[in-house]
Amino acid sequence: MKVSLFIPCTVDIMMPEIGVDTNTLLSNLGVQTLYHKEQTCCGQPLFNAGYRDHAKRVAKHFIEVFGEDDCVVSPAGSCVCMVKYHYPELLENEPIWQKRALDLAGRIYELSQYIVDVLKVTNLGATFAGKVTYHESCHILRGLNISAQPKKLIAGVEGTQFVELESSTACCGFGGEFAVAYPEISEAMVREKAANFVKSGADVLLLCEPGCLLNISGYLHRNHTGKTALHLASFLAQNIKKV
Amino acid sequence: MHPHANKFMETARKELKNEQSQMFLLMVSLGAPILRQIGMSTFADIAAAEAYSRAIRADVITRLPELLEAFEKNAVSNGAKVLWAKDAAEANHIILDIANQRGVSYVMKGKSMITEEIGLNDHLIKNGVDVFETDLGEVITQNLKLHPFHLVGPAINVPPSEISEAFLKKGIIDEASTDPVKLGGGARKYLRDKFRNLQMGIVGVNMGVAETGTIINVENEGNIRLIKSSPKTLVAIMSLEKVVPNMADAVSMIRMLTRNCTGQKITSYVSMDSGPQKCDEQDGPEELFIIILDNGRSEIYSDLKTREILKCIRCGACLNTCPVYTKIGGYPYGATYCGPIGQTLTPMLAGMENTSDLYRACTLCGMCKQICPAGIDHPSLLLSYRARQIELKNQKGKKTMQSRGENAIAGLIALGMSHGWLWSLGINLTRPLMNSMAKDGYIGNIPMGAQGWFVCRDLRAIPKKTFHETWDDLPSRPESSGNTSKKEDS
Repeated sequence: MKVSLFIPCTVDIMMPEIGVDTNTLLSNLGVQTLYHKEQTCCGQPLFNAGYRDHAKRVAKHFIEVFGEDDCVVSPAGSCVCMVKYHYPELLENEPIWQKRALDLAGRIYELSQYIVDVLKVTNLGATFAGKVTYHESCHILRGLNISAQPKKLIAGVEGTQFVELESSTACCGFGGEFAVAYPEISEAMVREKAANFVKSGADVLLLCEPGCLLNISGYLHRNHTGKTALHLASFLAQNIKKV
Repeated sequence: MHPHANKFMETARKELKNEQSQMFLLMVSLGAPILRQIGMSTFADIAAAEAYSRAIRADVITRLPELLEAFEKNAVSNGAKVLWAKDAAEANHIILDIANQRGVSYVMKGKSMITEEIGLNDHLIKNGVDVFETDLGEVITQNLKLHPFHLVGPAINVPPSEISEAFLKKGIIDEASTDPVKLGGGARKYLRDKFRNLQMGIVGVNMGVAETGTIINVENEGNIRLIKSSPKTLVAIMSLEKVVPNMADAVSMIRMLTRNCTGQKITSYVSMDSGPQKCDEQDGPEELFIIILDNGRSEIYSDLKTREILKCIRCGACLNTCPVYTKIGGYPYGATYCGPIGQTLTPMLAGMENTSDLYRACTLCGMCKQICPAGIDHPSLLLSYRARQIELKNQKGKKTMQSRGENAIAGLIALGMSHGWLWSLGINLTRPLMNSMAKDGYIGNIPMGAQGWFVCRDLRAIPKKTFHETWDDLPSRPESSGNTSKKEDS
């Protein structure tokens, strides 16, 4: 089984360890991973800012890079959403490109979705003695309808106690450019997310979206020293029993 | 309407610090979804009920012209006079004319967003016709000269002490009180006096039924029912998207509207009026005017993308779940409509130029789209406005230094994003710059650029190697060894 890794820019530049952990998890499951070095970013920041012509150029590059892969997997939900849903929209006036985009849309998966739904695995052999909770990132939950998959992977971790996060489906206030352009509103949102995490009593806040992780962990670092947020891939890879 | 949405952040900052607003927003964000959930759980199949109401609204906007013609024909045959108003000025003019011709000194109004949109109260008062709001929330906002804080509860944030003060000044109550029952009772008594001699009433419309020419209003205070039944002259004003095909659809939409609005299975009052008083009837207005208002909606309708906004039934559910609205409340939106529906509608009504905060201050979280009983995809609309704005800014002859600069930067980013080697080069050039500002592995602020990030957050220093640069060092797994190793295509 071959999987092409789509490592989005936030992970590539800011949190490369999530990419490494993604590779580790898939390799452990017997998946042959490949990585196209020509890949860059899906173009979501340009698209969200309204620069559609520029985003289109990036989309075409992405399709050229990944277009022939049987299966593309990424540890970032919003980037998968961009490719799956916004590329076909972006390329609606270019039928040949749109067809390629639609074709690719059926072959791209978010990591937890791929492991649980395609590989049919929920126990990755990890152990962790502690309490964890889970933030339902907007594009993972409402964009891709993924919620049960990461929770099943968490439930598969031996010794872990899952505790509920209040308002787990509320936005953390990231929103890309939003966090920079509307900092006070963004702060009010991430403050609430962090407070709910602290209230949950969990040792670690898990999530599947690098953007949310940048936001929440950046806020925790400044305001709640000692509280940790982690990408699910990292949590699983770090706690897999070494045999 | 008074669009001052260019003060969005200024007002938002104030509201974020306003403890009173924050307390009510917390109540709204926690309470309203629970009430809605209780209401919705009375449906045997919630998903089916939602799909059904979305289908009705989709049907309405697909054949809006045809439905409006049918509505007009049937309302006229019921004895109503139907008038079409192109814009706010025309609607205000028509209503003032009706009042002047009948020599009325005051009118009473039911809660209506549309009259707020056209600024009817100001127009009538300026021209010598006094206006009394009758919805308790609107009595409060009218007397305190406030914009609606919430689509459904316009004065939900006003504390009883302020209401008491305003009511005392207006003579609505005789002595100060923070007892809601006394305040409500005072308003009731005050309004009853006005109702006794009422000559002309004005109401909005929740639904106009095409097949029967009926106007339907949904309310909890009974004030609209009084306005619809007690004066000689009744004016009902509706924006043109309020029409529904038939009575069965209307009932389905009412069930959805009340559940999404207040969580009720049905409101305390629902009035359905088909024409003025007929000769064998004991009450009702002698004459009924129905004004169908366009005010920019034909243009919204002519674009297949923006047409979707006209599905809205003004239930307010999107406000209650919006992470931005529930932090800043209704005032920053600067117009009649706040929250996600205001963000999608106001730029179309007031123009894109001074409303960019409305379509940009959104994380695209999708809560509004998920909850909308009318099936509106707000995030997609906001994304399309952003694209429009960029297109407009870069049109020939409209370019400014700033728009040229921004477009050049976006172009440069796109160029980098379409070439792997250029991308890596960009990262390697930026990394040392960023990391020179790091302390103990974290960046706490930067001298220019994305400073908003650092208002409340740190940023981890950029790791020495990208994933890209790490890839070749990753160990190959036995499963992936062989001719086509994991390093294939690298």
